[in-house]
Amino acid sequence: MNIMRVVRDLVTTHRVSGLGAKRLRVLEDAKGNIEVAVDAVGARAGDFVITIAYSSARIATGDPRITTDLTIGGIIDDWDETRWHGPARAET
Amino acid sequence: MKIFQVENRLVATARITQLENNRLLVVREKGGSRAVAVDPIGCKEGDWVIAVGSSAAKDAAGHSKYPSDLTIVGIIDYWDGDETTGAVT
Repeated sequence: MNIMRVVRDLVTTHRVSGLGAKRLRVLEDAKGNIEVAVDAVGARAGDFVITIAYSSARIATGDPRITTDLTIGGIIDDWDETRWHGPARAET
Repeated sequence: MKIFQVENRLVATARITQLENNRLLVVREKGGSRAVAVDPIGCKEGDWVIAVGSSAAKDAAGHSKYPSDLTIVGIIDYWDGDETTGAVT
């Protein structure tokens, strides 16, 4: 599982039936990499969330038939920018 | 399995029901990359732990329907963080 931040909603009307009507969110990690995840909790833009990957992502949606590899499993109560990047961030 | 050091507890009140009330911890690999793991045993901050991924993570967290991709399976009795690479600066 990883810590990511919600960037915005993602609307895809035309989609495979395997995704059902699940809500999608655009997320970014601490390095700025962009990912798309199924949102099972109802996160808003700017929220720091826990993401569940691999086959567990399918269970986390509530329906293991959903074809996803990344699902938001929870919204973190107390997290901020400084802790996110941590002391290890040393970009030159 | 991989070796991690526990950084701190993670509080997420709004969570999917399948995660139940298990503790979640922020853990850091020696190289510096951070992850979140389910903690079924009860670790303290600073503990060095071993954690499993893939389908073993589900079973280790309780049952095969548990949505975890990283679960702590043991606390290492003695581990010096510097002993293998020697250069954690």
